Amino acid sequence: MSPFELLEPASLDEALAALDPSDPQVRPIAGGTALVLMMKSRVFRPQRLVSLRRLNGDLRRVRVDDDGTLRIGALASLSELERSPLVAKAAPVVAQALRTLSNVRIRNVATLGGHLAHGDPHMDLPPILLTLGTRVRASSPTGERWIDLADLIVGYYETSLRGDELITEIAIPPLAAGTRAHYAKHTALSADDWPAVGVAVAFRRENGGLRDARVAVSAATERPIRLSAAEAVLTEGGGPETFAHAADAAADEVQTLGDLRGSAAYKREMVRVHVRRALHAADASTEGR
Amino acid sequence: MAGVKTPPATDVTAVPALDALREVSRNVKRVESVEKVTGSAEYIHNLRLPGMLYGKIVRSTVPHGRVVSIDTSAALAVPGVHRVITGADVLTLVKNPHYGPAFHDQPILAVDKVRFVGDPVAVVLAADPHVAEEAADLVEVTYETLEPVFDEVAAAQPGAPIVHDELKPAGTFTDLKYLAGRSGTNIALDAMVRHGDAEAAFARADRVFEETYRTGQVMHTPLEPLVSVAESRAREELIIHTASQSPSFVRMEVSRLLGWPENKVRVRTAYLGGGFGAKLYIKLEALVAVCALLVRRPVKISLTMEEQFLMITKHGTTVKIKSGVTHDGTVIARRTETYWNGGAYADIGPRVTQKSGFTAAGPYDIENVSMDSFACYTNLPPAGALRGFGIPQLVWAYESHTEEIARELGLDPVEFRLRNALRDGRPHATGTIMENARIVDCIENVAKRLEWEKPFERGSGPIKRGRGIAVGFKASISPTTSVAILNVYGDGSCGLHCGTVDMGQGSDTAMAQVAAEALGIRTEEVRVLHPDTDMTPYDMATLGSRSTYHMGNAVRLAALDARRQLIALAAQSLGVPEDQLACKDGAVSASDGRRKTFREIFVDRFGMQAGNVVGFGTFAPEYEKADPKTGQSPNITPFWMVGATGVEIEVDTETGRITVTKMVTAGDVGRAINPEIVVRQLDGAAIMQLGATLFEQMIFDGGQVVNASLADYKIPGIHDVPHHIASDLIEVPHPRAPYGAKGVGESGTFGVSPAIANALADACGVRVRELPLTPERVLRAIRSKSGDPLEEA
Amino acid sequence: MADGRRTIRFTLNGTAVAADVAPHENVVEVLQNAFDLYGARESCGQGLCGCCTVVVDGTAVSGCLFLASSLDGTTVETVEGLSDGKNLDPVQRCFVENSGFQCGFCTPGFIMMTKQLLAEHADPSEEQIRDYLSGNLCRCAAYPDILRSVQAAAKARAGGGDRVNAIS
Repeated sequence: MSPFELLEPASLDEALAALDPSDPQVRPIAGGTALVLMMKSRVFRPQRLVSLRRLNGDLRRVRVDDDGTLRIGALASLSELERSPLVAKAAPVVAQALRTLSNVRIRNVATLGGHLAHGDPHMDLPPILLTLGTRVRASSPTGERWIDLADLIVGYYETSLRGDELITEIAIPPLAAGTRAHYAKHTALSADDWPAVGVAVAFRRENGGLRDARVAVSAATERPIRLSAAEAVLTEGGGPETFAHAADAAADEVQTLGDLRGSAAYKREMVRVHVRRALHAADASTEGR
Repeated sequence: MAGVKTPPATDVTAVPALDALREVSRNVKRVESVEKVTGSAEYIHNLRLPGMLYGKIVRSTVPHGRVVSIDTSAALAVPGVHRVITGADVLTLVKNPHYGPAFHDQPILAVDKVRFVGDPVAVVLAADPHVAEEAADLVEVTYETLEPVFDEVAAAQPGAPIVHDELKPAGTFTDLKYLAGRSGTNIALDAMVRHGDAEAAFARADRVFEETYRTGQVMHTPLEPLVSVAESRAREELIIHTASQSPSFVRMEVSRLLGWPENKVRVRTAYLGGGFGAKLYIKLEALVAVCALLVRRPVKISLTMEEQFLMITKHGTTVKIKSGVTHDGTVIARRTETYWNGGAYADIGPRVTQKSGFTAAGPYDIENVSMDSFACYTNLPPAGALRGFGIPQLVWAYESHTEEIARELGLDPVEFRLRNALRDGRPHATGTIMENARIVDCIENVAKRLEWEKPFERGSGPIKRGRGIAVGFKASISPTTSVAILNVYGDGSCGLHCGTVDMGQGSDTAMAQVAAEALGIRTEEVRVLHPDTDMTPYDMATLGSRSTYHMGNAVRLAALDARRQLIALAAQSLGVPEDQLACKDGAVSASDGRRKTFREIFVDRFGMQAGNVVGFGTFAPEYEKADPKTGQSPNITPFWMVGATGVEIEVDTETGRITVTKMVTAGDVGRAINPEIVVRQLDGAAIMQLGATLFEQMIFDGGQVVNASLADYKIPGIHDVPHHIASDLIEVPHPRAPYGAKGVGESGTFGVSPAIANALADACGVRVRELPLTPERVLRAIRSKSGDPLEEA
Repeated sequence: MADGRRTIRFTLNGTAVAADVAPHENVVEVLQNAFDLYGARESCGQGLCGCCTVVVDGTAVSGCLFLASSLDGTTVETVEGLSDGKNLDPVQRCFVENSGFQCGFCTPGFIMMTKQLLAEHADPSEEQIRDYLSGNLCRCAAYPDILRSVQAAAKARAGGGDRVNAIS
């Protein structure tokens, strides 16, 4: 790595002021597990890094609003979320996924805000959070705005955040009673590998049919994305045949990218298999009953 | 070596019975245990010297090309850069800067051509490694690109782009000399074995089977990446500290390059953070040596994990195999053609090609055998030895093939193997009579462990279960020599000067046990000195599972020599004839109960605690080199290793993912010097090969490896370890081995890959003939068989 | 560019220390450069192999991805802090007794992670051990012995193994 200026502001306002929207060599750094990797491989050569490690308070807090919204400070580490009883209660599918996300040391350091701001399409949580209707709050020197997660990650390692914006909070709305959710992670190499395909689903059963069905995929695609055709199929019934049709619809609509973990054709097939399996697994889960 | 007859092994007496042994076969804890668990064990990785510079290698960006120009000005302008060394600088010190154990083909830095993406072109030196790294990016090299060749079979064809204009055998191995001066070919070595008449036998066989099997290129990834440090304090003196498996060879080769006598070059190692063959022969040592001599300061080059993939790898292979079989299931003929993708530099590939090549027909008693083995140059990173010296690639082919034949003939695969197994007393295809090879025992052991006779649960739904076995064998490599010195000090303690490198296999402990057994003391009282060519005598290298047998014999001889001397001295002070004295428990004692401790012996002799008794042992086994035209030899190897593997697997038929639920290994070990450590060697080797079977593979784009990191080149983690794993030792002492012990570091790898492929065939009826067995490859096979193939990639 | 060196102060294995660090240096470098501690070592350089494991404010981190500057004001524990030079930590002892290593390069990382694991789960199941240690790689594949070592360490803790051993 090469030298750079490292600032460690003590307040959010200072941190925001230290960012420079016009200079891509100025970046915030939280856990740093992704950014330091990019710096070591010299893909990224910062001129200035704005460390967020001294920022505290709400930025690290996990709480549930009066209306049931789970509010996660962007600097909460993934380990904190893994251990949080609030997360376990409000979004057990997130807690489940965290147990096999990367490794303990990375989870101890990586933050949820950093996880989302990186825009890496191979992450475990974005597809899950997409199925849960997650929004993020982006703060800048001029104010703040809420961004739907679906509008945050817009391309391959690309987000809609401006250079002077920081994710400060992640909000997961309360799940309707009876919501069942599941995340299926398919690894192609070692068991502890990154996902070759990640599939998240959520739905609830009502009067024999499915409501609020959500299907999202990651790692196989340019960015984590919801699969609307599959979701549409799921409004038509609730049995194994519907699940199979939804899986076929997902495979038909998804634009997969091949990489060293599998060709585009293989990944498309894995989307089919894992959408179906995730729907069955969610349906079989006791959660929400 | 030319003209020198290898001395016969001396003083190899009958192997003592187990109950007569006190130190050998005892589960001594590793002698370096405390250092390793406290983080204080010495590795060259940790070494820093005053005034040391760090070198960062500038590497070729093209797979094949001529170096037109190198512009170092921008790099030199970076504050803190001490110097940039190029091939031209190397030439001021070394007239012919090409090195290598088998061929002198690898330049210290590119002289005219580059031959793979990653070939070293220059080195940037700076006191701050970050500065060196930064500046290395700024060295501008222009190339005139040449057409590359990547595939081993394509490289062997006439008209292929030529990687090296002329072959330059090193002369280290006399049996390669006939290759000198060949040009216009990428075949660095063609080794053949002819036994009987394979073609005639095919003509009369009832069935003939022919298939091709392939393996991908993989990498050792020792967790301590390759590292070497050189310093030169006086004018003609060089010290190389290096994480090397072969310090004696490094000294020889660096001395040759510099034109210096060996006594001016000192090479030392510490513990190695893994080796597996990656740290063999010569790697970074000549480069750091030249840098240190040019700038007169210590220079360290420490590769990153990524760079290791550009240093040395394991051959990708193509094996064509044809068998003629009779109706009753006897294999009467086998022909093999093996193409080894050696990459841009031969390294030890020609030895792999030859020494493992002659086992390509498998551990079977086949009357008519024809084997051809081709070491091929290509424009990929060089390939050498990786835990098995080429054997796992060959076993992959012949054990997949053998299983296919058995299934096709409707024969039980275990029975089929036993029927054809090569038994002691029968000639191997090289003409050498097989002896002390427990092939049948190993097969029977894993079959028993898998309860082969019993019905097997086949799984349900998309999960199908299957089981498979495979057996492989290997000839220990010769000619080869090990020398050891046991130095008994005035207080009776002793130091073992031994060039075997402990890279995790536990050799320090095993050698201490052998020395202690022979000298009649406790293992814990032996201190093993780490390889340092100024202090430890010659050893060929720590490779190919040779140390236990060869160095073990040398250590035993050294200890027996010291013992003889101690007894002679005690005979004088006790006034008792030597043949009536025994040496045990750190003392020499007479039958009447009088005894002299080792210390007392010294005091009696020198009048005070003083002096040394130095025991010396050299071991060079008998060996006859093969006839180059027929591969025939009456004594092709000092000993044979055998390993068999049995697995049970689950296959997810919708994803193609294989889970190994049970893996058992049987290793023919002669006798285990330290049974716990030996079991661990077998387990560890099997798990390592599991990675190469299921997912490890270097992936290239235009000759550039695109997954050179542990992020994208995954190695087995703890979740990949089968829930049921066990290794059994097949112990029948080898008569010429030290206390009967044979080498064991590689045997666990042999059968893993074909056992898993055979289990896949058992589970799903599909045969995959290329490693690794990635989920996609497996799923494609399953879908093709079911008539619903996956669309092309 | 100014090299931006600064002095950081932290507690290292129980002792208050200070070091001059550059912003681009990582924790492994500062431990080696300033304190001659080599138990945490960089191997994969990507936080995947665990050879560089150190514990910062009670949490295990990958030293190779952790900026040295960020140690300022923290409490740091390395493998060197586990043993006083005479007596091994019970986890270290269990790794010796069960031979939970071969080449030893990854061993300090496994031991540090095992300490953390047992602090979080006193009686871990095999799956919990595998999950927790899935980010530590051993190329010698001493995994079966590592599992046994961890299980022995858990048992030693549960049975008050320390005291028993001290008496015997």
